[in-house]
Amino acid sequence: MKITDACVCPYPIGDSSVKRFALEARELGFDSIVAVDAPSGGFEGTEIIGGVFIRDRTAREVINHVKKARDKGGVISVLAGDNGFNRAVIGVKGVHILRGIHTADKKAFDHVTAKMAADNGVAVDLDLSPLIAGRSIPRQRAIHRYQDILMFAGRFGFPVTISSCARSVLEMRSVREITGLCTLLGMDEPDVEHALNGIGRVMEPHYSAVRVIE
Amino acid sequence: MSPRPPTMREKRRYLLARIDPAGAVPEQKDLYYAISEAVTTLWGDGVAAMVVPAVVALEDGHVVIRYRRGADRELMIALSTVTAVREMKIALRPIAISGTIASLRLRIKKSKPAVPKNADPGDPGESGEPGEVPEVTFAGKKFMALQCEGKKVNLIEKGFKNTNRLFLTSEDMEES
Repeated sequence: MKITDACVCPYPIGDSSVKRFALEARELGFDSIVAVDAPSGGFEGTEIIGGVFIRDRTAREVINHVKKARDKGGVISVLAGDNGFNRAVIGVKGVHILRGIHTADKKAFDHVTAKMAADNGVAVDLDLSPLIAGRSIPRQRAIHRYQDILMFAGRFGFPVTISSCARSVLEMRSVREITGLCTLLGMDEPDVEHALNGIGRVMEPHYSAVRVIE
Repeated sequence: MSPRPPTMREKRRYLLARIDPAGAVPEQKDLYYAISEAVTTLWGDGVAAMVVPAVVALEDGHVVIRYRRGADRELMIALSTVTAVREMKIALRPIAISGTIASLRLRIKKSKPAVPKNADPGDPGESGEPGEVPEVTFAGKKFMALQCEGKKVNLIEKGFKNTNRLFLTSEDMEES
C-alpha cells in the first residue's frame, strides 16, 4: 500500500521545488506524491508521479486535453464544475480524479454522478486545504460537502483520494495530522489509509463493475 | 494563599513542536494568539476552555505548548490548522508529548538543529566578523541562501521586505 499525497503544486506555481516536496513528503510519512506539471521520477526514496490538472475548460476542451495528456502518462485530474459537466468528464476515458468538489455547486455531485464515478473508476479528491487554511463558513461548507461525498463513496464504492494541494512545503501535513483532520469528516484510521492509497487504485487497470463471464 | 495540593491541581501535558521554516522566529505572544485562534475557530469556545492552550517556551526553533491532559486530539488537529503568525508563514510539526517541560528540553537538545547555521547574517561568529550568508541568483532574482539540515536549502529574496522564500534542495541549486 502506497501512501500518496494526491496533489502538490511545485515551483513555479508554488514556492517549493518538486525535489524539496519529495524530501518533505518522506519526512512526513508519504511514499509518493502527485506533482502537477512535473515529470515522473523519484528523489531520495520518494516516488514523484507527474500530474496534469485541467481547469476552467468546457467538457469538449477537457476531452481534447485528456487525449493529449493520456499518452504522456501520469495522473489526469479535472476541476469539478456543475452537474452536467461532472457527468460528462467522468465519462471521458483517461480522467483519473475529479478535484475541487468543495468549490462546485451543491448539486454538482449527486447519486447518478457517484454511480458513474464508481463504474468508470474515477476518484473524487478531498482537498484538505480548506480545512487547514480556511476558517468559519468556507471550512464548514467543505466539511459538509466532504461528508456527503464520503456517504456516496460508502454506498457506490468509487475511489477517494486525499490531497493537501500544497503550494509550499509549509502547507503539507504529516500522515498523522491528515488522519486527525479526516476525523472531522467522520473517517477512521483505516478509511484514511484506504483513501491515501486511492491513487494506486485509479492508476491500476480498470475493471468495470459488471463483468461478463462466458 | 497557600498553593493547592498536587492531587487537586489541574492535570497538564506539554507538547513539543518544531517551527518550520528553519530560521523563522515568531514572537511567543503572537504564536500563542495564532494557536488560540486555531483552537477556538475549529472547536469553539467550549472546547477551547477545556484545552486551555498556552505557549510556555520558545527556544531553538521549537515551541512547548501546555494544555489540559486528555485534550491531545483536539490540540493536535488544531495545530495542523496554524498556517501563519501575523504575516509570517509557518507550520508547526508536533514531535512529542510529555508530562514535564524538562524531558521536552532534552528532546530539543537531541533533535537536529532547527535553525540553520547561517540563519542570522548579522550574528558575529567566533572571529568577531559578522556571519556571511551566500548570495545566489535564482530565476533572475537575488536571494540569500540558508543551508538547512540535509539537502534542504531555503532562499530568502533580497529586497525591502525579506518575506519571499523559496524552498529548494542543493541539487536544484546545482542545476540552476
